[in-house]
Amino acid sequence: MRDVTLSQLEQFGAAAADREDTFQMDEDAFRLFYERTARPVWAYLSRMSGDARLADDLLQEAYYRFLRANVSHESDAHRRNYLFRIATNLVRDIRRRPRLDEQRMTEDAEAIDHADPQSADVANGAVRRLDLARSMARLKPRERDMLWLAYAQGSSHKEIAETLGLKTASIKLLLFRARRRLAGLLREGGR
Amino acid sequence: MIAECARESEVLEAVAFGRWPGHGDLAAHAASCAICADLVEVARALHDDRDALCREAQPPAAGMVWWRATIRARADAARTVTQPISVLQGIAGACIVGGAAGLVTVAWQSMHWVDRFGDMAAQLQSRRADIAAASTLAGGHGLPLLLAVAAGLVLAPLALYFTLADD
Repeated sequence: MRDVTLSQLEQFGAAAADREDTFQMDEDAFRLFYERTARPVWAYLSRMSGDARLADDLLQEAYYRFLRANVSHESDAHRRNYLFRIATNLVRDIRRRPRLDEQRMTEDAEAIDHADPQSADVANGAVRRLDLARSMARLKPRERDMLWLAYAQGSSHKEIAETLGLKTASIKLLLFRARRRLAGLLREGGR
Repeated sequence: MIAECARESEVLEAVAFGRWPGHGDLAAHAASCAICADLVEVARALHDDRDALCREAQPPAAGMVWWRATIRARADAARTVTQPISVLQGIAGACIVGGAAGLVTVAWQSMHWVDRFGDMAAQLQSRRADIAAASTLAGGHGLPLLLAVAAGLVLAPLALYFTLADD
């Protein structure tokens, strides 16, 4: 194999500088956007993947793909939706790996189960979260995504459709069915 | 079939802004409306879970994420630049292997000609005078010819190296 020459290294540096220029925003704008979105995106990744550690890795990957995407955004909301779309696709990729999904969500639920509650409120909250984690694990991935975006993230039907790659007209029915199913599971205590 | 309730948005807003159960009217309605009861059940659970997860979240600092993205972009750029060189090296390697295989084949076939060398030697014996004349001519111009061939063998690989190094 031939060694890399100095002139080539200079070319790499120039190419890298060009790449930085192709990030869709500068560092200051990114910092502001990140501060606003990192926690909700992490929460989404964590709940949808069922793995907090995996969510850390996916978060970095989501922002990298977001920065590298050559897409112009008409508003901050549009930019945020695009980030959630990337996050959704990352979780979908993870789900394609064998038996990661339900097992991890159950582990997540067990972690909540073993939490050491210090007060009645904390205990009640932990129980409710445990029920939710178990119930979510029994839903279809698309139902989970949809419900989270609608009721945790507060996205509109149009935004959900854009994020999940579905038709806006179909969201209402799909959401209604998913909501009814999750409500039933929650009343059963997630079992 | 979708069952709808006119007060869904009102209920959802109360949950989303942490005002639930709020005034008794809406709570009483949710208690008697199956659709709104489902909505409250789901929306509260998800809303509370999101809040708890956001509190638990410890995302890396923005600067760290930006720095990692920059490093990765640089690595991707370097990979993009070196990819054609790797392809070229692969092609060159394949050519060398192919050429070597060709030479081996030719050498193998030439072994069969060894048998005929005896006949050729006999024929050459009858043309000794012609060979002597050719040897005299080569003795006069052979050195420059030999130097030219040697220079070509040394310079050609160097020229190829510098051509590839500059692109």
